[in-house]
Amino acid sequence: MQESAYFDKYSPISGVWDEMYGSNSQIRDHYRKVIEYISRESADDLNKKEELAKRLFMSQGITFTVYNSGEGIEKIFPFDIIPRIITASEWTFIEKGIKQRLTALNLFLKDVYNNQFIVKDGIVPIDIIYSCPHFLREMYQLNVPHDIYIHISGIDLIRDHDGTFYVLEDNLRTPSGVSYMLENREITKRLFPDLLPQCGVRSVTEYPTILYKNLLALSPRQIANPTIVLLSPGIYNSAYFEHTTLARLMGVELVEGRDLVVNNHKVYMKTTTGLQQVDVIYRRVDDDYLDPLVFNPSSMLGVAGIMGAYRKGNVAIVNAIGNGVADDKAVYIYVPEMIRYYLNEEPILKNVPTHQLGNRDEREHVFKNMNKMVIKKTNGSGGYGMLMGHAATEQEIDEYKIEVLKDPRNFIAQPTISLSAAPCYMQGELQPRRIDLRPYALFGPDGIEIVPGGLTRVALKEGSLVVNSSQGGGSKDTWVLNPPIP
Amino acid sequence: MLSRVAASFYWLSRYIERSDGMLRMLKINYASSQDAVQEFTWEPVIRIFAGLDDEESTKLENDSRAVLKYMVTGKTNGNSVLSIITLARENARSVQEHISKDLWQCLNEYYHTIKDPKLERALQREDPIGVLDILIKQVMLYYGTVEITMERGEGRSFMNIGKYLERAIQSVDILDTKFGSIDDNPDLLTDTTYWKHLLLSLGGYELYLKTYREGFEAENVLEQVALNNDFPRSVIYSVNNIQRYFERLKNESNMDDFRDLSFQIGRLQSRIKYSSVKSIREEGLHTFLTQIRGELYGIGNKLNEHYFAHS
Repeated sequence: MQESAYFDKYSPISGVWDEMYGSNSQIRDHYRKVIEYISRESADDLNKKEELAKRLFMSQGITFTVYNSGEGIEKIFPFDIIPRIITASEWTFIEKGIKQRLTALNLFLKDVYNNQFIVKDGIVPIDIIYSCPHFLREMYQLNVPHDIYIHISGIDLIRDHDGTFYVLEDNLRTPSGVSYMLENREITKRLFPDLLPQCGVRSVTEYPTILYKNLLALSPRQIANPTIVLLSPGIYNSAYFEHTTLARLMGVELVEGRDLVVNNHKVYMKTTTGLQQVDVIYRRVDDDYLDPLVFNPSSMLGVAGIMGAYRKGNVAIVNAIGNGVADDKAVYIYVPEMIRYYLNEEPILKNVPTHQLGNRDEREHVFKNMNKMVIKKTNGSGGYGMLMGHAATEQEIDEYKIEVLKDPRNFIAQPTISLSAAPCYMQGELQPRRIDLRPYALFGPDGIEIVPGGLTRVALKEGSLVVNSSQGGGSKDTWVLNPPIP
Repeated sequence: MLSRVAASFYWLSRYIERSDGMLRMLKINYASSQDAVQEFTWEPVIRIFAGLDDEESTKLENDSRAVLKYMVTGKTNGNSVLSIITLARENARSVQEHISKDLWQCLNEYYHTIKDPKLERALQREDPIGVLDILIKQVMLYYGTVEITMERGEGRSFMNIGKYLERAIQSVDILDTKFGSIDDNPDLLTDTTYWKHLLLSLGGYELYLKTYREGFEAENVLEQVALNNDFPRSVIYSVNNIQRYFERLKNESNMDDFRDLSFQIGRLQSRIKYSSVKSIREEGLHTFLTQIRGELYGIGNKLNEHYFAHS
C-alpha cells in the first residue's frame, strides 16, 4: 500500500468496528482512494478545506440560531470533511432490511388504526399501544390514501464491534436532517474536486424529485396541477433551513399555519389573489400542534379544522397523523415480531436487545446492571432524557431510578452498544470517532425508494457515544459506492 | 402568491432601500463634518432615520463616532442599519424558496459583514468612509443580484413597490427636514455647501450641475428632488414606479381591491405631476410634503389590507 502519514498515525479504538481500518491493520479497500487523495494534501491544505467548508455553510445560511442574552448567534452544524463510505454490498443489505421493516411498520399502523388483528392475535400487548401518548384515537378507521402512513422515514442504524448493523430507532413522524445529506454532498464536491467520480459514488440528488412525485400522486383531486405545500412551524424552528431547501428543490409553496384556512372541510391558502385550495400537505409540524380544535388547543402553529378536512379525504397529509405509535421505543421491541407476523419473513436488520422497564423482571435485571445499560424515554428524542450507565455517577443513577419508578412504561433500557468508528480530521490528523447512519426512505404508491446515501452523524468529542447534534455531534458526507466492476 | 410571502418581499425591499439611504446619508454627513466651519450637527440625520426624541438626540448630535456607532451597528437602536438588515434577512429567510439562491447568499453576506466585530472596531478607530463604502457596496451587490437573478413576476413587483414607496418617503422626509432647518437658520439658504451635501447624499449632484448652470438655489434643489422625472431619487420618479409595478398586479380575481388602490396611486401621481415649484411655494412646502407623506402612508396601509391579509 501507499505510504500515508495520516494513516500511519491513526490508532483505532480497540473492540470497536472501524469503517476504514481493517482487521489486518490495512486500509479497507473502499477507503483506499480517499486516504490516498488526502495523503497528497498537507495538513495546511486540509485545514484550508475545513475553513472553506465552514465558510460555505455560513454564506449559504445553513445555520441554526442560538439565542443568548437576547442576541441571536448563528452556528453551523459541525461538519467533518472526511466522508463516511458504504460499500455496494453493505448498501444492498441495508436497503433490503429497511424496505422489509417499513413494509411491516406501515402494515402495523394500518392494522392498529383499523382491525387490530395484531393485538387480537396476542403479538403486541394492548396496554403498550393504549398507553402510548402518540396513539391517536382520532385516526381510528380513517382512510389514508393508498394505505400509506410512513411516506418519509429515517431509520437510525448503528454497527456493533463485529460490523453487524442494528436498528437503533425508527423515526416515522417528521424525521429531519435530509437537507444535510444533500448539502454535505454539495460541499464535498467543492472540497475534493474529481474525487467523487473517481470513487464511483452514487448520487443523492434524486431525493426531492422522488418526494415530489410521491406527493403529487397523493392528491385527492384528479387535476393537472394539484397544490402541494410544505407546512413549516416558521423561521424560528431549528430545521427551518431544511424546510426551505426542500420547498425550493421541489418547487412547492412553503406555508405556515397562519397562511392556511379551512372552509367547508377544505384547506385553502391565503394568496394575493384570494383563496387557493390545497391538495397535499407535507407537514413538518408535530401531530400535537396540527389542529388546535382536536389536539393541543393552545397551538398557534397549526390550522383549525385541518383534521376534519383530512378525515373527509379533501386533503392528503404527509406523514400520516398518529405514526408515533409505531416509533415509540416500547413498541420498537415488537418490530421483529411484526415482521414475522405480517410478512412471514425473518427480520433482515436486527433490533438492539431492549428491556421494557414496565415489566418487573426486566426492570430488576436492568437496575442490577445499570452501568452496562443505556436508558431512554420511550417518546424522547434528540438525546434528551437519556442516561448512559457507564458514564453516570452513583447519584445520577439513583435519581434516574426514582424517575423510572414514577412511570416505568415510559422507559426502556438497552445494553451499551459500542457504535462503529470512522476517521475524522482533527487538528492535522485522522482520529477515530463514533458514528451512526440515517438513510431516508420514501414510501409512495409505487413502493419504497431509498436514496443511496443518508446522514452520518458523528460524536465529535473523543470517547463520546452520543451523536445527537444537541449533544456535541456533527455530520459527515455519506457515500454509497457503485458495485466494483468485476 | 401567498399573502405572507408578498408582505415579506415588500418589507425586505423596504428595509434594504432604507439601509441604502441611511448609509449614503451617513457617509456624506461624516464627510461634511470634517470640513464644517461651524459646529456640525447630526440632528437632521438622527431625526430622519432614528426617531429619537430631542433629549436623547442632543446627547449624540455633536459626536460623529458615537452617532455612527448608534446608527450603523447600534444594537439598542431598532432603526440602526444592523437592526434593519437583520429584519430584511429574516424576511428573506421566510421567503427563501421564492428568491434566487444568489440573492439569499448576497443578503446573508451583507448581514455577516455588518455583524463582523472587525467592522464595528474599524468604524470607531479607522476611516469611517471606508467602512460605509464596504456596506454601500453590499447594497449595490444586492440590487445587481436582484436585477439579474430575480424572476420577473409578482414577487418582484411587490419588491419594487416596497422599494419605491420607501424611497419616496425618504425623499419627502429629507426635503422636509432640510428645508425645515432653514426656518431656524436663514443663512443656510445661501450656503452652497449645505445644498451640495444634500444633493451628494441623494446621489443627485452631477445631475444638478448638468441641469442648472447658475449655482445652488434652494428652489432648483426642490425641483430636482421633488419633480424631476429623470432623477432616480425624486419623489415623482418613485411614485411613477410605484404606479408602474402596481399595474402589473392587475388580476381578474381581485379587481375591486386593485381599483381601490390604483385610484389612490393615480391621484397621488397627478398631484405631484401637476405641481410646480411655484405652486408648491404658494401652498407652502411643508403642507405639500405632509400631504404627500400622508398619501404614501395610505398606500402602504391599503396594501396591508388588500394584499397582505392583515386586517
